Amino acid sequence: MTFLLDGFQTALQLHNLFFAFLGVLIGTAVGVLPGIGPMSGVALLIPVTASMTSGFEPAQAATSSIILLAGVYYGAMYGGSTTSILLNTPGESSSVVTALDGYQMAKQGRAGSALAIAAIGSFVAGIVSLIALVLLAEPLSNVALKFGPAEYFSLMLLGLAAVSGLAGNSMTKAWMMTVFGLLLSTIGLDSVSGVARFTYNISFLYGGLEFLTVAVGLFALGEVFKAILYNEQNNDGIAKIGRIIPSKEELKESAGPIARGSLLGFLVGILPGAGATLASFFSYMLEKKISKHPEKFGKGTIAGVAAPESANNAASGGAMIPLLTLGIPGSGTTAILMGALMMYNVQPGPLLFDEHPDVAWGLIASMFIGNVMLLILNMPLVKVFAKIIETPSKYLLPLIIAISIFGVYAVQVTTFDIFLLLGFGVLGYLLASHDFPLAPLVLGLVLGPMIENNMRRALTASNGDFFVFLEKPISLVLLIAAILWIVVPFVMKLKGKSVVVNEDM
Amino acid sequence: MNKTFDRIATLTFLAIGVLFMIESLRISKSAYGSVVGPNVFPFLLGLILVLLSIKLLFETMRYPSIRGEKQRLQYKKFWIIFISAILYAILLEPIGYVITTFLFLIIGFQTMEKGSIRKSIIIAACFSLGVYGLYVKMLQGTLPSWPIWLR
Repeated sequence: MTFLLDGFQTALQLHNLFFAFLGVLIGTAVGVLPGIGPMSGVALLIPVTASMTSGFEPAQAATSSIILLAGVYYGAMYGGSTTSILLNTPGESSSVVTALDGYQMAKQGRAGSALAIAAIGSFVAGIVSLIALVLLAEPLSNVALKFGPAEYFSLMLLGLAAVSGLAGNSMTKAWMMTVFGLLLSTIGLDSVSGVARFTYNISFLYGGLEFLTVAVGLFALGEVFKAILYNEQNNDGIAKIGRIIPSKEELKESAGPIARGSLLGFLVGILPGAGATLASFFSYMLEKKISKHPEKFGKGTIAGVAAPESANNAASGGAMIPLLTLGIPGSGTTAILMGALMMYNVQPGPLLFDEHPDVAWGLIASMFIGNVMLLILNMPLVKVFAKIIETPSKYLLPLIIAISIFGVYAVQVTTFDIFLLLGFGVLGYLLASHDFPLAPLVLGLVLGPMIENNMRRALTASNGDFFVFLEKPISLVLLIAAILWIVVPFVMKLKGKSVVVNEDM
Repeated sequence: MNKTFDRIATLTFLAIGVLFMIESLRISKSAYGSVVGPNVFPFLLGLILVLLSIKLLFETMRYPSIRGEKQRLQYKKFWIIFISAILYAILLEPIGYVITTFLFLIIGFQTMEKGSIRKSIIIAACFSLGVYGLYVKMLQGTLPSWPIWLR
């Protein structure tokens, strides 16, 4: 508890308050703008925050940037609901379900209530998942501290298996992306022996492919290129928002769905691989199942907005748990957050709470504050954010390219990285538009060095005996879990059951 | 799903896997501080990638090629913007951040949709000068400044 109070002290510093505010504000905008999801939003802002915090002490810079980036993450979850409800075009994939009932409500002139309930639900869910995060963080990281290299190796394999098993339509493609990401991570100087690998005497490659360049290229530029090629335009009129304060009846009706959505979303969020999209989907199904009037769903019932919106926010809180306590990101966005932390030499994982308590608890405390800010921001400003939707893409898209190039150049100061950025942009577009999921690639790139180091350390301790991973009980259990994660969906597919997949995390 | 693309992609990844395997054999096997040398991990990964590629190649044989309604893609716009982005990167250091960014944005805006030159110029100027001013003057960052003949 004292740690949490210290965290609040960190988070309440004036500049951190400002960063949290900026984060949730940009995050909401990112969520509202169709075409920029939380993943590209966070990736795009890493270099911007890096340059903003360049004058700070290293630890302080890490805290402030991660506060801002996390703000973007959960802010985007809020913002995504706005376009779903008003335009029937979800700003990001986790709000797809919200559109089912939200847009219907908007058509009936109840857009204001829908938006308000979405904001309230998101707020409650955010707080619930944070409380659970606070309670679970210490015990989990204490368990993880007992892990040796062999256990870590297996745990990371489990993380990769989970994400690859659930991403995209083809598991083979997802695995190929994971392995490709891992391979890319081996470029550069080997951290154990100092031998240069796959560098071909190109001096830029000795440091390895910069995570930031790859992430911004794949996600931000990839999406921009897609938007240019398809020239996406929405000419639908925006629904009138109307009265914002929901009626007592509506509040009462949505209290249950919000509570259930929060819990379910949180649990789904903790699981690596299952992200906010799945959480919102599941909670909608659950509400429909237990509702007394299932026929009302899809025709504008408020529970159909409250439940998925609570769930996707709770899931983003839940996803922070494996990231902070185990150092295993469970989704694309948390992988990017992890990459950002590592840029500041802050290694997420069990040691985080010991080595950088200010970063860990500062972040958690700032998320409490950020959620309050979001609620305050969203209720009165919903109409302003709705205006952002009208930002013409003709200005937006070139500006995103310019921001990406600026960001990468500002951090790397080489033109080589800009070419790399553009190359990965094209690659990102090509892969994503042909069902090759990008999240596993980034995950592989982030986890690659750690997997390799832990594998080699474990093998050194065992004198090169690969059975060490099977002999340690915890490691064995984790490996079995990883294999199950791969095999079970496969068996279910054989039995003809359709498996729910996460299209986009 | 597009069969042709999947096949090409699969073969590319197959080649990448093989390349990594061959190249990792050339890495020195000396292993300071570790029994397992720096070549093992990439070699194994290359092997897995090759196996997965072969698996996907077989999968592409099986599923029918679904021809979705072909949307006319805006290739022309894309290429103009992409090539100007490359030129942007090449020219960034020789002629400085403000000029290149300004020009790139103008081209970008006008390619996306012709017209309202004035608005384009204003936005492009605000962005390029704004970023330069904020980042270089206020935050003491490094960006290529004006070209020599303008200073």
